[in-house]
Amino acid sequence: MQILAEAEDLPKTANIKTQLISLWSVPVFGLILLIAFVAFPGFFPPMSPEMTADQVAAFYRDHTAMVWFSMITFNICGIMLLPMFMVIVVQMKRMGTQSHVFAYCYLTAAVSGATLFALSDIFYLVAAFRPDRSPELVQLLNDMAWMIFIAPVGAFVAMNLLLAAAIYFDSGPNPVFPRWVGHYAVATALAMAPAVGAAIFKTGPLAWNGVVSFWVRNGAFALFVVVMFFVLRAVLQRQAVEDGVAQ
Amino acid sequence: MSGVVAAGPTPTGLVSSEPATRAGKRDVWIVFWIVPAFYTAFGIIFVALTRVMPPPRPDVTTDQMAHFFHAHTATIQIGFGVLILIVGGAGVANGIVLYHMKRMSVGSVLAYAYMGSLAIGTLPGCLLVGFCFLTAVYRPDRDPRLLALLYDLGLLSYVGSLGCFTTAWFALAIAILYDKNQIFPKWLAYITIWQIVTEIMAVPVFVSKAGPFAWNGSIAFWEGTVIFGVWLVCLIVCLKKANECQPADEAPLP
Amino acid sequence: MTNTVAAAESDSRMVHMPGDGAMWVMVIGDLIIFGAYFIIFMVHRAMRPGVFLASQQHLNITIGVVNTLVLLASSWFIARSVQCTRAGEGDRALRLTYLGGLCGVLFIGIKAYEWSAKIAEGYALSGNEFFMFYYMLTGVHVFHVGLGLVILGVVVRELRNPRRRRVSMVESGATYWHMVDLLWVVIFALVYVMR
Repeated sequence: MQILAEAEDLPKTANIKTQLISLWSVPVFGLILLIAFVAFPGFFPPMSPEMTADQVAAFYRDHTAMVWFSMITFNICGIMLLPMFMVIVVQMKRMGTQSHVFAYCYLTAAVSGATLFALSDIFYLVAAFRPDRSPELVQLLNDMAWMIFIAPVGAFVAMNLLLAAAIYFDSGPNPVFPRWVGHYAVATALAMAPAVGAAIFKTGPLAWNGVVSFWVRNGAFALFVVVMFFVLRAVLQRQAVEDGVAQ
Repeated sequence: MSGVVAAGPTPTGLVSSEPATRAGKRDVWIVFWIVPAFYTAFGIIFVALTRVMPPPRPDVTTDQMAHFFHAHTATIQIGFGVLILIVGGAGVANGIVLYHMKRMSVGSVLAYAYMGSLAIGTLPGCLLVGFCFLTAVYRPDRDPRLLALLYDLGLLSYVGSLGCFTTAWFALAIAILYDKNQIFPKWLAYITIWQIVTEIMAVPVFVSKAGPFAWNGSIAFWEGTVIFGVWLVCLIVCLKKANECQPADEAPLP
Repeated sequence: MTNTVAAAESDSRMVHMPGDGAMWVMVIGDLIIFGAYFIIFMVHRAMRPGVFLASQQHLNITIGVVNTLVLLASSWFIARSVQCTRAGEGDRALRLTYLGGLCGVLFIGIKAYEWSAKIAEGYALSGNEFFMFYYMLTGVHVFHVGLGLVILGVVVRELRNPRRRRVSMVESGATYWHMVDLLWVVIFALVYVMR
């Protein structure tokens, strides 16, 4: 995006620039989070809920260093994806033909959803903290870690449905998002919703190590973030041109 | 000084015989005074009553952890009981910053990121330790190994919740640096960056059980807390200034 | 050195403080914060000199020296860039800033290589207290280098716009960058060299 020299100091330009910075945190921190995800020894393959307490305790004893590396990275970098979702809020508020109530609902849903992600890595790290802890307690912490990491999809489902609703309502001559983004958001919500089964099942595709709850859920989320990065870049470009700030 | 100067479009800047009308808006002042009040209570709760600041040591035995809970049951219950009641003050403290950030010339995205991140941080970074400790002292005869788990979970989450706050500090710092309305001075942005440094220095608390990088360590805890105290005082001073410089007749935010 | 040049050039009695006051708050405060880290390092070193000395042997002092030279070179480029900006030679200042930034990137690359080599040899964050200090001090310093690159980016944007090229902006960026360099020299001396 080429910001016009005359427009450098305008508030509208700062609005675009701060959104761009928020957006670019995605590739930077997204890459770091992806590395941390791949580095976690319990994701490839994902740990089975059927592991005995002793096996779980042995896992944390044998892989302490990599558990530390990946979960500390999740801890310190995970919420850096939030600003991109806030860009979506700001763009939803630009839609002209509706009341913006969806945008505020989206904002609060994003906050409550991210809270659970912020909590999950702490449980993995506590599980790894004392190698001499009783294996049943390590298994308890591990159970909570996995459940809190995989199962809470409700906030994100709501966010996507709200985004889709806002896009469908955005019928003006100049819609902010292309209509297919609404369909895509609904599809992502549907792909992630079954992961709630991770809180209930211990085997099968819905368990936290299952195809649906682990791979489909995480893959759909990651893909959504990547796709929305490009969508929002284009949206910001259009906003900048409309505001007379870029060409 | 600023009381007279900033009190709306007065016809002259001369000192009048009546007391200067308070600059800024009354509702914003009410909210402002809640901030130091809340953090004072927060300090009393976390330092004197619940003994989370400074935290008890990680390098102790299970029995010593159980002893900690037995010794401080009453004050933990009083302290965290009160915290659960007044923790809305944290929301207020974050809300007034959000309010002033929305008065900046940079648009709302960073204000939402600030607010969102701190809202996220309230659970793992403030309330979880409260509920872990309250649960630990709830039944005096609980197995010490369970008490040890609650001890670890509470203190690691309190000292080790890093990312939520890091995002908030980034959002605030960038917003201040880009802002042309001069709501907050630029040096507050740099002090906020020190806060990010303290989050980085707390990374080893998940690894180290003794020494400067443990959850009670001179670097990971003490220096981080001192810097937080400095930042908080600076923030309160800047909020006061922002209130004073705000014209009393400024239109409500859209 | 640059201060006296500035003071000599200003035609009034007022001493010209390079950059803006806010950046000096950042620099002085950061130096105090790091100073505290260094003091704590020294205290712990005094408590266990044997462990610290033995562990220090495993650091690659050559890489440390190279990194020091790289950062010193970058500071030299940045200082020259400030002089060129003051003299109105915007294009030259821009090129020098790029060179300074390039050195910064090189520093980070060398640091990454050094860390991976250490980890491969088995000296990770969880090793002993010395290595924890090593990784945390160099790590938070690398964070400052990264911030410095962002700040240099802002300086570059300033210099590329012929309508601006404010000297105070470039000076602020340079002040921060020199601080980063100074911090590294102290870290190098304390962690790598001091016996």
